[in-house]
Amino acid sequence: MSSKSVRTSLNIPLNRVEGDLEIQAAIEDGCITEARSSGTMYRGFENMMTGRGTLDGLVITPRICGICSLSHLTAAVEALEDISGTTPPDNARRLRNLALMVEMLQSDIRQSILMFMVDFTNEGAYASHPLSSLLMERYAPLSGTSAIQSIQETRRLLEVVAIIGGQWPHTSFMVPGGVTSSLGTPELLRCCMIIENFQSWYEKNVLGCSISRWHQVDSAQAMLDWLEEKESHRQGDLGLFLRLAYDAGLDTMGQGPDGFLCYGGLPLPEHTEVKGQQGQFIPAGFARHGSIQAFDPANIAEDISQCPYSQKHTSVHPWDSSTNPDPYAPRENSYSWIKAPRYNGHAVETGPLAEMLVRRDPLFTDLIQRQGSSVLSRQLARLTRPARLIPAMLAWLRELSSNPQGKFYHRVKKIPDGQGAGLIQAVRGGLGHWVQIVDQKIEHYQIITPSTWNGSPRDGDNNPGAWEKALEGTFIKNPENPVEAGHVVRSFDPCLVCAVHSLHRGRKKGVLVLGGGF
Amino acid sequence: MKTAFWMQAGGCGGDSMSFLSQSFACTSNLFQALDIDLLWHPSFSCIAMQDQKRLLEDLAAGKIPLDIFILEGSVICGPSGTGLFDTHMGRPRKDLVQQLTMQADTVIAAGTCASFGGFGADGEAGSTGLQFHKTRPGGLLGPDFRSGSGQPVINLAGCPCHHDVMAGALAAAARGTAMDLDEYHRPREWYGTMIHQGCTRNEYHEYRVEESDFGELGCLFFHMGCAGPLVPGPCNKLLWNQQSSKPRAGVPCFGCTDPEFPGKNPFFYTQNIEGIPLSLPNGVNRAHYMVYKSMAAAAAPLRLKKRTARV
Repeated sequence: MSSKSVRTSLNIPLNRVEGDLEIQAAIEDGCITEARSSGTMYRGFENMMTGRGTLDGLVITPRICGICSLSHLTAAVEALEDISGTTPPDNARRLRNLALMVEMLQSDIRQSILMFMVDFTNEGAYASHPLSSLLMERYAPLSGTSAIQSIQETRRLLEVVAIIGGQWPHTSFMVPGGVTSSLGTPELLRCCMIIENFQSWYEKNVLGCSISRWHQVDSAQAMLDWLEEKESHRQGDLGLFLRLAYDAGLDTMGQGPDGFLCYGGLPLPEHTEVKGQQGQFIPAGFARHGSIQAFDPANIAEDISQCPYSQKHTSVHPWDSSTNPDPYAPRENSYSWIKAPRYNGHAVETGPLAEMLVRRDPLFTDLIQRQGSSVLSRQLARLTRPARLIPAMLAWLRELSSNPQGKFYHRVKKIPDGQGAGLIQAVRGGLGHWVQIVDQKIEHYQIITPSTWNGSPRDGDNNPGAWEKALEGTFIKNPENPVEAGHVVRSFDPCLVCAVHSLHRGRKKGVLVLGGGF
Repeated sequence: MKTAFWMQAGGCGGDSMSFLSQSFACTSNLFQALDIDLLWHPSFSCIAMQDQKRLLEDLAAGKIPLDIFILEGSVICGPSGTGLFDTHMGRPRKDLVQQLTMQADTVIAAGTCASFGGFGADGEAGSTGLQFHKTRPGGLLGPDFRSGSGQPVINLAGCPCHHDVMAGALAAAARGTAMDLDEYHRPREWYGTMIHQGCTRNEYHEYRVEESDFGELGCLFFHMGCAGPLVPGPCNKLLWNQQSSKPRAGVPCFGCTDPEFPGKNPFFYTQNIEGIPLSLPNGVNRAHYMVYKSMAAAAAPLRLKKRTARV
């Protein structure tokens, strides 16, 4: 490479995300020096809510996102229960959690196999890789064996949501006070068999070992030992991912900001054998500099210095925030309609990796202590999260079966005027709905989604958002086919339809454009 | 071999997610069995950027024939008709949609947003459907638009559209079978009956055993806002995810196949006059209906009044 700095303009497709994403990055000598992320669509969901009926968030907000609609339903119902001071009965907790966990399993598997691993079939980048024919065989779009299996298995799994709530996606079976129906014994047995079948497939094909064997892996070294231990470990999707990841340097690629946020979620029933912390299966917390602090929602603020919104304040809590798009705002400093949420002023990442760190999982704690976050640790957390969820799901099904006649709904006469928040661990990380009811109507509805955190633009101090930061320093081998940048962004599992504020703004000259998809 | 191009615009991707639950065949085999070459799907395709560009140019120029064009999500026209609220590589996506529909032999709108505008049709996003704006013919393409096959846009309404409706419509397009359409261009095959048809709560409806709160087994039409008797669709006939439907699980139908969806009235609540819903099942005379329902309620058997019949 010459000593003269070389600026290049590149393109790679960034479809296989939910929604539309374009990333502009300055490249020097093959290395990304600065990245700017912008969604390319504005749908205006929050403003659609104003003036509507108190329960309408239960119907409208799931429709923000086709892959995580139950996450929105959960946040919406928790906000209304916060306002009305309601706690659902134990069986309602179990049924809600089960449905949301099915959605998580579905999303983790589809994202990993259909959206992330597919990049390893990228002919330009991996055609000469020793595993290339195996990779094509497994992950080629709609024809690879793992791709076909993951569609079939997740489809079967989603039947559980339909049994509990009528359909997937876009049901509204969670209502203030509980759920709309309970399951009889045959339905519970059917759900149990579906999840057990899924577990068998997941263990055999994805992990290549039992869930309990995987849980013995408690450090980076133990993971390498596990990989060497058996051929089945190397041949599963997880083993293949790890072999490729170390080979392609994904363990040192895509380091995000040192801040990991988890709102916590899956509230435990009052009586249950499932263990959790702070009354939740997924604990809440904020990890930074290797320590974990308690999560305080008051520390969340939305910075709009770089967004074209017509508002006076530049950093406000969601209670005080509104979404007033001004498409004619000056373009110089505004490049995204995604607001920039900050936690105590810090840009953070959220998602399965933050979840693992906050729950003090020894493997992930070790990985992050050694070399910070990376594409590998982020994607590994997603691919192995089902191993955490499945045992709890089966336990809750057993508890439901032992008391199928138990209460599943408390009458809630009406939602009083007031304000409340639903902050949950959604499929992709922290999701918040902030709702205010006045005169039996929705007065204010603000949503901060996981992709709003991860895909956040710069704030007033010019600090980049999580995947903007993770792209910095990424070395692009072939400017014509910058697959590395795709690995980095995809490891965050971007869901741009959820970034409800987003709108694309213009384009800088002489920059990498990661974008596309029709 | 027929070609198909699936595009997402102002939507949530839910129709694609629904589609993965179709029961015609394993999704990858479905395309093979129908002899469809899926040129592009936003969630599954893996094509280098320059090849994507070339594909789009070749399709727009007619160099590659486009047999089936599927749009999911609304056409976003805001702000002020510019379409800049939804762009693809700096261009308003609506222009791209228009270009491709001009080349297509069959145009399918998957879901209520693509059909009628759906979410955002009344809002600042300026959403509209391919050939309707809510109940009004027009939309992006205008009322006179006909695709290569001579058909208007086929509106597969629903939020999301039922998976087997999408698979069925794709099969029909692949095999060249024309669809009989209703006034809103929804195929009568699936939208010729009400959602209510096949609901396991029908016996409760019949005898007017009503619910006014969640969690019970009775009918959700009279107080809980269920639109099952008002809007067409196959949810209780084909079932969702091969298992159930919202009304069966105690969730009222929200009428998502209707061109006006999501409407303005609060969900979970039936607008009514003296306990009789303001909107009655399609074509019903109010006076007759009131007499019929009061007789039905009087005739209700005890097992229904006591909610012993499971749904």
